[in-house]
Amino acid sequence: MSSFGELLNNLVAETTQRSLCHFSPELALSGTIVILLLMRLFGSIDRWIPPYFTALVGSLAALGLCGRQLLDLLNDGAASEEFFSGMLVFDPFGAFVRGLLALFLVLVVALTVLTGIPDREDGPDFYALLFGSTIGMMIMASANHMLMFFMGIEMASVPSYAMVGFLKGRTKSSEAAFKYVVYGAGAAGVMLYGISLLMGLLGTGTLVSETMPDMASNLQLAFAGTTGIGSAASMTLLLAVLMVMVGLAFKLSLVPFHFWCPDAFQGASAEVAGFLSVGSKAAAFALLVRFCLSFVGGETAVLPEIFTGFGVALGVMACVTVTFGNLAAYSQTNAKRLLAYSTIAHAGYMLMAVSALVVVLAGGPGAGLSEGVIGETAQRCVEGLLFYLFVYLFMNLGAFAVVALLRNHTYSEEIDSFNGLGWQAPALCICMAVCAFSLVGLPPLGGFWGKLVIFMSVFKAGDVHWFMYVMLVIGGLNTVFSLFYYVRMLKAMFITPAAEEARPIEVPAAIGNYALLLAIPVLLLGIFPTWTTNLAQRVSEVLVP
Amino acid sequence: MDSLGYELSWYLRIAWLLPLLGFAIEVFGGYWGTRKTKTAAYLAIGCIAAGFVLSTVAFCRWNAETGAFSHSGEAAVHEEHASLRHIPFAGQAAVADHAEGHAAEHAEHGSGEHVHGEHASDGAEHGGAQHDEHHAEHQSIAALSGTIYTLGKFGDLEVSIDYYIDSLTILMFMMVTFIATCIHIFAVGYMSDELTEDYVDHFAHTSDGHHVHRPGRFYRFFSYFSLFSFSMLGICFAGNIFQVFVFWELVGICSYLLIGFYTERKSANVAANKAFIVNRVGDFGFIIGLMILWTYCGTFKFGDYEVDGHERPGLFSMVRGHDGELAQQGSDVILKTHGHDGHWQAPQEGESKTIPYTLLVVAGLGVFGGCIGKSAQFPLQTWLPDAMEGPTPVSALVHSATMVAAGVYLAGRFFPVFTTEVLLAIAYVGCITLFIAATIAIVATDIKKVLAYSTISQLGYMMLAIGLGGWAAGLFHLITHAFFKSLMFLCSGSVIHGCHHEQEMPKMGGLRRKMPITAYTMLVGVIAIAGLAIPGTGQLMSLLTFGAVDKPLAFSGFHSKDAIVATALAYTQLNPLHFLLFLTPLVTAGITAFYMFRLWFYTFAGDPRDHHVYDHCHESPKVMWVPLVVLSFFAAFCAANGEQGSLFGMLSFSEPVGLADGMTATGTAAIAVPSHHAVHDVHGTAGAVALLAAVLGTLTAYLLYCRKVVDPENIRNQFSGVYNFLVEKWQFDNLYDAAFVRPSHSVARWCAACDRNIFDAILHGSVKVCIWVATIDRKFDEGIVDGLVNLIGNVTRSVGLSLSVFQTGRMRQYVMFIAVGVVTLFALLFAFMPKA
Repeated sequence: MSSFGELLNNLVAETTQRSLCHFSPELALSGTIVILLLMRLFGSIDRWIPPYFTALVGSLAALGLCGRQLLDLLNDGAASEEFFSGMLVFDPFGAFVRGLLALFLVLVVALTVLTGIPDREDGPDFYALLFGSTIGMMIMASANHMLMFFMGIEMASVPSYAMVGFLKGRTKSSEAAFKYVVYGAGAAGVMLYGISLLMGLLGTGTLVSETMPDMASNLQLAFAGTTGIGSAASMTLLLAVLMVMVGLAFKLSLVPFHFWCPDAFQGASAEVAGFLSVGSKAAAFALLVRFCLSFVGGETAVLPEIFTGFGVALGVMACVTVTFGNLAAYSQTNAKRLLAYSTIAHAGYMLMAVSALVVVLAGGPGAGLSEGVIGETAQRCVEGLLFYLFVYLFMNLGAFAVVALLRNHTYSEEIDSFNGLGWQAPALCICMAVCAFSLVGLPPLGGFWGKLVIFMSVFKAGDVHWFMYVMLVIGGLNTVFSLFYYVRMLKAMFITPAAEEARPIEVPAAIGNYALLLAIPVLLLGIFPTWTTNLAQRVSEVLVP
Repeated sequence: MDSLGYELSWYLRIAWLLPLLGFAIEVFGGYWGTRKTKTAAYLAIGCIAAGFVLSTVAFCRWNAETGAFSHSGEAAVHEEHASLRHIPFAGQAAVADHAEGHAAEHAEHGSGEHVHGEHASDGAEHGGAQHDEHHAEHQSIAALSGTIYTLGKFGDLEVSIDYYIDSLTILMFMMVTFIATCIHIFAVGYMSDELTEDYVDHFAHTSDGHHVHRPGRFYRFFSYFSLFSFSMLGICFAGNIFQVFVFWELVGICSYLLIGFYTERKSANVAANKAFIVNRVGDFGFIIGLMILWTYCGTFKFGDYEVDGHERPGLFSMVRGHDGELAQQGSDVILKTHGHDGHWQAPQEGESKTIPYTLLVVAGLGVFGGCIGKSAQFPLQTWLPDAMEGPTPVSALVHSATMVAAGVYLAGRFFPVFTTEVLLAIAYVGCITLFIAATIAIVATDIKKVLAYSTISQLGYMMLAIGLGGWAAGLFHLITHAFFKSLMFLCSGSVIHGCHHEQEMPKMGGLRRKMPITAYTMLVGVIAIAGLAIPGTGQLMSLLTFGAVDKPLAFSGFHSKDAIVATALAYTQLNPLHFLLFLTPLVTAGITAFYMFRLWFYTFAGDPRDHHVYDHCHESPKVMWVPLVVLSFFAAFCAANGEQGSLFGMLSFSEPVGLADGMTATGTAAIAVPSHHAVHDVHGTAGAVALLAAVLGTLTAYLLYCRKVVDPENIRNQFSGVYNFLVEKWQFDNLYDAAFVRPSHSVARWCAACDRNIFDAILHGSVKVCIWVATIDRKFDEGIVDGLVNLIGNVTRSVGLSLSVFQTGRMRQYVMFIAVGVVTLFALLFAFMPKA
């Protein structure tokens, strides 16, 4: 009895003193949700204080907390630290991604203020969904257990289903939401099956742990000395990993699990589409990196052939995704649908970094690379991914924001409706140009450095497996392909004259300023990339020693 | 900061920058005002007139310090004031207290300003016999230079905005601002038909055959004028050759804008392009020259300067030192540095910077190439007649009085860097030009074209003089020519305005009865350019002016042309091989008189040939004829007393060192340059012969066109071969067309075809492939994936099932893809994984 009480006391102490502290950004967001809902419940408070104001304050608080955590972590030089009994992990990588998500949330809330979706009545609902989804993503970023893995994905997904269908009364929107739900449920089902297989095989769900038995160590115990997929156990392991990947591939909209993406993006409002395209990508990549590292991040490589093969499979997927996304985007006429395909393509680019990471860590020792080189290359992969995510946040949100902001004036999201707007809304169109060129990866914009760092790490991984060179070539070629369809949007804006019957639009200065707020970081990241790469490098050094 | 150079630089700086300010304001005139306001004109006139006032102030200050103008005339006076005028170079023993003061000031402000002692000659000495001793004794200021702003530093090399002020600079400022003011005022009248919202251009047609209607461009005209004034003054003000180049190009662009002022007229566009492109050819040489000098000399500055307290020589000192001699060492020229005794001298062997002699020649030829383009010299003379497409005030200001004179000015300014070979080339280029242009002018019938060819010819005279070492004579002619040529152009403008844009002389005649002021002011200009004088009136003039003037009664052109011909004669006496350099200008003097009087008789004398033109013709308004009268006064009297006069004296005050004594035949060209003394000795002979030629030319014109002794028509028929050759401008345009224009067109066509058929084809091909792949991809996505889904949807809809059933159909498909995907992936992985 006393030992149980002691356990309980320890748990309470740990929870209140440490875990809740590490969990503070999520708590801030949860608190905001509660306040938002209560404000509507208790009379007319939200008539005095608009919901977006509360939301803005809440997201800013979360951003501040995340920023402080990241700074503290980097200043103390602390390594990772598990909390909530090893369910979540607190490390610079997680803090970085969560900070990214919080910053993103602030920008999205600001965007919704400007575009007026949701209206005042729906505000609390919408922001509750938005914040709930963000909390899920933050949990994804710091998950350290397969349970939290699943929980995080579902917490992020369920509110986003609702958000996609938030434009009530629009068939397209409801249809998109429904497709998204069913597809998501299907993917989750497969993933859950994979998780159960995995946990059954390895006897634990903890990804990485110092104190407890984790998947890495159990893998070593179970498969030491095994090579290839000769045994049923190793084949089952591969199948399980693959099924878990399906869930992630759904979130990342990788080919062939991308079908939902164009439909959902076209059906959802551009703000939501922007949110999904960046937020869930960032969280899912963080999760994917953690998941992969739990197998290949150990001291000694277990089943190197299988995981090198897995890494190459990721690479193939990346190549197919990039090529498919870019080519399919080429013939789109709807801006959101075009950006959806562009999102798919960019997930492919980022997946290249993960593929290189897995290949280097799994196959590096076998290929005769020294430990230092392996570590550095792996760090460079993570660094590239993080930098890319950071730039991607601004440039992709920028592109979606411009579509959303212009929609409010032209009542259309077709590319043709942009004709001749270059002179009527110069700030927005220049922002679009900056974002588009950055998405293509032209210097001196941030996107260029993101692609460059990823391609560099892929090139280094070429020492381990020849397919990395193929991937590099395909990535390079796709950069060229992608130019065409982005430029098509810009052509509509700056070159094609407006239609005769088109009503001239006038965009308020605040909206232009918001667009510039997104475009300027893209430019700054291109001119001074070291500010962020240094940060990303320090973060990745802790994650991949 | 009260030193002279600093003070002068401020006057000129403001005078230089005011038109820029004017331009900056005027260029927006179309936005700010209506098209009917004259504000832009008043602003432009105000700026340039203020510039003139400031230039005059600078002139007075300069004169007060140096006595260059007021004491030049008399050798006796010169004796007394010698100490005043000769301000010693720093480090030299001061001759007088006054001078000492300046030396001290110089020491204080050393970094900002330099007093140059290398130009020791003084113009007053032509009359006196003792000039040799003076020259040897005194180091006097001839130029002040300094840096206003450093644009960039590249190690030791420096690019900056400098000033270089000497008599020439100040006279150019006076001349440019004064003439520009007159022409600005004239243009207010001439351009007044632009003061409208709807200007009808009768010379430009739209595609459907109507006249072009456009808003008036009065303000634009004046903003271009202001920009031009700024650029031109910038050339004169510049203290380094790079700065000259910058303003050189600015002047070029202004010229381009003004020639193409009537942009709707194709001819104007073509002429503007031609002027710009032909000038680029010359500028190519200019850039080569700049590169050579920059590489070997390491500076662009004309005058000496200081770096960290060390004296550094400018270009002139480097090449010429203080005694005007080139220091040759084998095939190299030693660039001089600061010696121990304060002189610029060639350093000891081994430690010297040198430039190969050939490269110095190439640099000189290159810079002169720029001058050839700008001053429309042979073989780049073809653009100037076409440039007459611009409004007449433009022709007057830009293409006769100032811009084209910039080439001559630069040739004069850069004189110390030219070697004897370059000078000989300059002389021959000038000689060829003056003859060719004069012969073409004989047959031209467009009143402005005659003046244009005469401008080319007169510029040839100036170049010739500079090439012959008659530095002061050439620039003297530059100043006098500016006056009478701007006068004549304005007169022609007045005629054209009065005759409602009729420019063909055969349609005029007898106009002096309709427009007397224009006719007689024009006559002044014609007499001035022809170089007529009344022989034997020297004594009379002496009596009338109490001995101040002892030259015969003549207008300015006589004196300046006289000086050139005298130099040429003295030159050919020293170098008999080059006798053409004397004969050609002499003969051309006669031709000049002939075609100028032909123009006057044709236009103003006799009976009207076209009554339609004559009846509608009228005298111009006051705003136009007042500048004519003012200019005609200066055209007549600005060169009073010729080479003993103040103007010539002031110019020769800043003459490059060593010219007064002449040069003995050295170097590969073996050319000797006559001393002033030698020139003076042959002056009487030369003047008499030149006058004879001019009188003969005048008489011929009188007989042919006024008395009609022989019908010019007959002569024309008799010599139709020569006539056509001249009308075709010596076939230069055709030659260039065949040699350059058409070949480059065919190369261009070839390149275009190459581009279209090969590169574009490759590009289009790859685009097609890309589109094709994308289309297939789209078809796959839409046709097979979506198509399957849609097919089910469409089928179910047609059956009439509810929406939910329709969606379920799609969903099944989607979810099935998840399962198919997983299975496929696993199958693939399984197939490729090692099995062991």
